[in-house]
Amino acid sequence: MRLLLLEDDHILGEGLRDFLRTEGHTVDWCQNLERARALATEPYDAWLVDWQLPDGSGLEWLQARRARGDTTPALILTARDLLAQRVQGLDSGADDYLVKPFAPEELSARLRAVCRRSAGSAGTVLNFGAVQVDLTARSCRLNGRRVEITAREWAVLEALALRPGCIVPKADLERLVMGFDAEISSNALEVHVSSLRRKLGRELIETVRGLGYCIGKIE
Amino acid sequence: MKTLPSIGKRLANALLTWSVLSTVVVVAAVWLAVHEEVDELLDETLQATAEVLMIPLQSTVILSAESSLEKISSPPSKGNFAWQVINYNTDKPAQVLRGSIHAPLDALHEAPLPGFGNTPAWRTYGVAVSSPNRMLYVAQTNKERSEAQLEVALGAALASLAIALLAHVWLRTRARHELQPLQTLAEKLANYDALAPAASLGMPEREELMPVHTSIDILTQGLARRVAHERAFAAHAAHALRTPLAGIDAQLAVALRECPPHLSQRLQNVRTASARLQRVVTALLSLFRSGMNLQRQTLMGDSWLSQMPMEGLTIQTNITQPLSADLDLLEAAMLNLLDNALRYGARNVMVSTPAVNTLRLSDDGPGVSAQRYLQLQQALDTQSYEGHTGLGLMLADMVARAHGGRLTLPAAKQGFAVEIQLS
Repeated sequence: MRLLLLEDDHILGEGLRDFLRTEGHTVDWCQNLERARALATEPYDAWLVDWQLPDGSGLEWLQARRARGDTTPALILTARDLLAQRVQGLDSGADDYLVKPFAPEELSARLRAVCRRSAGSAGTVLNFGAVQVDLTARSCRLNGRRVEITAREWAVLEALALRPGCIVPKADLERLVMGFDAEISSNALEVHVSSLRRKLGRELIETVRGLGYCIGKIE
Repeated sequence: MKTLPSIGKRLANALLTWSVLSTVVVVAAVWLAVHEEVDELLDETLQATAEVLMIPLQSTVILSAESSLEKISSPPSKGNFAWQVINYNTDKPAQVLRGSIHAPLDALHEAPLPGFGNTPAWRTYGVAVSSPNRMLYVAQTNKERSEAQLEVALGAALASLAIALLAHVWLRTRARHELQPLQTLAEKLANYDALAPAASLGMPEREELMPVHTSIDILTQGLARRVAHERAFAAHAAHALRTPLAGIDAQLAVALRECPPHLSQRLQNVRTASARLQRVVTALLSLFRSGMNLQRQTLMGDSWLSQMPMEGLTIQTNITQPLSADLDLLEAAMLNLLDNALRYGARNVMVSTPAVNTLRLSDDGPGVSAQRYLQLQQALDTQSYEGHTGLGLMLADMVARAHGGRLTLPAAKQGFAVEIQLS
């Protein structure tokens, strides 16, 4: 998943970024709202937003994004733990609310849960015909047989699986998979898509000419 | 609880005492005055009567020495007044010459007695008539004089008592009325939210209560400032403590994944200690807010317990009764009690609800000696935590007390048991 992490504390931000990267996610980390506003135009699978930031409120930023119709899943990460604050956070458009201190493993699990729900599935395993995508185990199976795929291939598969039935533009998919700062070779995405088709079947990922890629609806 | 003296009762008692004493004093004073004045008045009446009788008696033949005793008729009377004319000869006993109809047959006095005199039954006034050996006595019965004095005294006493009684009732009603503002103040204070915006008791109903109102307003303002500071501190402390703790854990989680195998256990130990520190900080921050309004909610079942897994400890539950509690505070207490159990060697904990609003934790650890058990229970009963209990028990007890309950240590056949009673 491509994640936008909005956290001003350097130790925590760096720790979360690195931890989530070890989980296979692409993380863009910014420490203020100004930078977040610039990045928010990019496609993300989820936002991780600290409430209190040096140049404003992360909650207000989230409310503004929701007001514009942006439905990207969002988790609030904050030290504010009062019941009224948790209610306020969730009512402001957050999909989940995590009070510091928290274990990064819990953040990762909640992130997966939020994205699953966003994709329309409560389960951790998404079925696309003969292909099963296990978001928790970060693995996939074809006709029940486990298929080994690379981290980049997983990132492409996960990005498409979390948007079943939706056409994901090639540029967005590249940014979702590679991250904002990573260098992308001109045909890297096509290479990964081609490899996935070879391993999981040609019919799994559909190319919509001129628009992008699409994976079938969850069964 | 010791019964305190009541201002109302004390005033009523004082008024009653004052009424009784004033009545006694007034009655005594009236009695003395009446005794003296009525006596004097009656004596003057006797004197005046004698003077009136003297005039006809001196000029009439009825006083001739030779005449025998003769009762003179008079208008009807009760016989409380009488007169006698007595002749005294040195060689003969006193001879009653004349007398009123109610006068005794014997001489009132055996020897001439001018002026006032007394016999057992009469009060007399004697004057000489025509010669020194002939005396006129005007007399009044002592009984009548006593009755007159008693009636006057009794009337005065009854009037005094009535006035005292009326004064007592009126003053008591007045005292109750004057004490009403104190009752009103007490009712206001009972419903007084010192932390409400611009909280004030308003103007007092009596001038004497102004210092009380002023003091309470000053206290309220001080309390509001203090609470505002503490809330601000809690908010800042929460951010200042929670965020670095989360950062430490995130960094450790990454380090654990990246470290060479021989460092893994050490890093895991650091992370365990960090997790414990997180629990303590979370509990302390929750406890810091326990003086504020509790956010009670009804907890059914054990789903809320699933949010507090503790590595190395198996938690079994038998939650059959509802709990009304502030979940944050209860979690803080539970985390510390579970942490205690783990640190003292327990591997299994049973969480149950023996009664409504009561949560019991029983572990399979080594438990404590009977002496230590008594020390702990006494420390909890008297809230003498320092040096006697660990942080876990102290926090749990303070959480229980914040709910209006307390922490107790029920007897356990095995291990250690602790019961959080929430009111």
